[in-house]
Amino acid sequence: MSFLHNNNSDSKVSELQYQVAVYEDETAYKSLFFHLFPSLQNFAFSITRSRVLAEEIASDLLLDVWTRRKKLLEIDNLKLYLFVGAKHAAIHKLKQENKFARFSLDDLQVEFISDYVNPDVSAELHEMQEKIARAVKDLPPSCQLIYKLAKEDRLKYKEIAHLLDLSVKTIDHQLSIALKKIANALHYPNPKKNGS
Amino acid sequence: MTNDRIWKLLARQLSGEASLTELEELERLRTLSPKQEKAVDDVADWWLHNPAADTEFLEATYLAHLERMKDKGCHLNEQKGELANDREIKDASITSTGVLTSFNIKRLLIAAILLAGLALSWVLLKPGQGSQVAVSISKPAEVATLNGARSKILLPDGTNVWLNSGSKITYNRDLDTSSIREVYLSGEAFFDVVKNAKRPFVIHTAKMDVKVLGTRFNVKAYDDDQTTETSLIKGSVEVSLKNNPGRKYLLKPNQKLVLSNDLPLKAAKGMATVALPEVATNLVEIKPLTYLQGTETDIESSWTKNLLSFEDEAFIEVAKKMERWYDVSIEFKNKRWEDKFLNGSFEKESLEQALKALKYTTGFDYKIDHNKITIY
Repeated sequence: MSFLHNNNSDSKVSELQYQVAVYEDETAYKSLFFHLFPSLQNFAFSITRSRVLAEEIASDLLLDVWTRRKKLLEIDNLKLYLFVGAKHAAIHKLKQENKFARFSLDDLQVEFISDYVNPDVSAELHEMQEKIARAVKDLPPSCQLIYKLAKEDRLKYKEIAHLLDLSVKTIDHQLSIALKKIANALHYPNPKKNGS
Repeated sequence: MTNDRIWKLLARQLSGEASLTELEELERLRTLSPKQEKAVDDVADWWLHNPAADTEFLEATYLAHLERMKDKGCHLNEQKGELANDREIKDASITSTGVLTSFNIKRLLIAAILLAGLALSWVLLKPGQGSQVAVSISKPAEVATLNGARSKILLPDGTNVWLNSGSKITYNRDLDTSSIREVYLSGEAFFDVVKNAKRPFVIHTAKMDVKVLGTRFNVKAYDDDQTTETSLIKGSVEVSLKNNPGRKYLLKPNQKLVLSNDLPLKAAKGMATVALPEVATNLVEIKPLTYLQGTETDIESSWTKNLLSFEDEAFIEVAKKMERWYDVSIEFKNKRWEDKFLNGSFEKESLEQALKALKYTTGFDYKIDHNKITIY
């Protein structure tokens, strides 16, 4: 495809990145933190399964952003760069705890921002959210993660593929599986073992 | 029970990865049955519904983060005072370097830096299709394309936008939550707006506003073109003119509204300025879309499919399209070619190939000197 993609969350990151690098703008840094910390923490958690470690990893990565602000503009895609950093740090911590630990896409615990159900929503919406949450939890961990990275973290197919060492085709396919399962959970309520 | 293809297409649409052809296919599959339509709409609603960030929690986490930084010898908050001064100094040194305003310089700097970053991806692209600049300094988000480049954007509300060469779109950050979704456009863009009856989508241009509820259409509003146009592919839009906001034009699919800009004819090309007569200014016409011969592709939005096409358009207008498409300037030494009507559609052709093809059908001669083309 010859159109360059530009999704809004990226342009926001590059803008903040610029403000931090050139003006040492603390407000921009704080926005960057608000914008990226939850995503990075969630992602690190899916590998380490430890809230403490995940928070430490995300915090360290964002600390580096500030201390190395002078060189920040050398990074082409800051968001992806930090996700890759979170992955390496998480695997490293995992191995520190247990030297036999191995990173595998089939062994993840994926957390969703949308898991935190807002008590103010209507009963109808609440019920729908529960149905979807259950359907998503039934997906293989790697599929859950791909879905989470696309939907909540708004990463592009190419970025997810790069981050997880998969092909764009796989991302494309896994996402279609996730959406199909969600649709089935909502509209074909008779629980059939294998979806459609 | 359900077709797998539709979910693949929907995922692409929601992630901003779908091509226009794929969006059209999705639309066809979606409307096959009411049940299918409902399922697709529900999944799309779910995807676009993201809970607001928990700011209280984030504030607390940020404080803990600052403490951690302090422990590692990095004191952030205390630098605030000198920071403001520092910024003024930087700005001052920028303004003193030349005649350009600091605003323009900043834009150029950002453009240069972002371009440097993009250099790698740039070389992988064919000439004439690469490079885009996402520039934004103040609050609203701004995405701009240079001549010779096109870009695709996914807005926060899920709307897909294709941005043609030499165009700029601006929108507020709260687009996904505000009661009216408003964007500002100069240049040309194609919109695939996510339906939301409660929150209309409005496109502001210099000469007209376009109000929609969820639909697919093209808006062409280049300052230096003779017309401002809205072409509707699907759905319905309401167009109002800036200087006569009371009058609203409702378009049906396959119609376009053409507003003649009161730009002095040919003034842009360095000719003696000839003001148009009163009556001719602000002429509004509603026309059917033009389709490429023997196809279902309309000329108006064909650029989103990477086609540079025109049917019965004056060479001078075609030249403007080519200038933006190939990032060149075109000058007519022999003015009689300016009003010659041309037909054509180019996809992968280089500038030289395109000119050669037009030359054969028309009979003009041309010279290429770097980015300057002379027609004689």
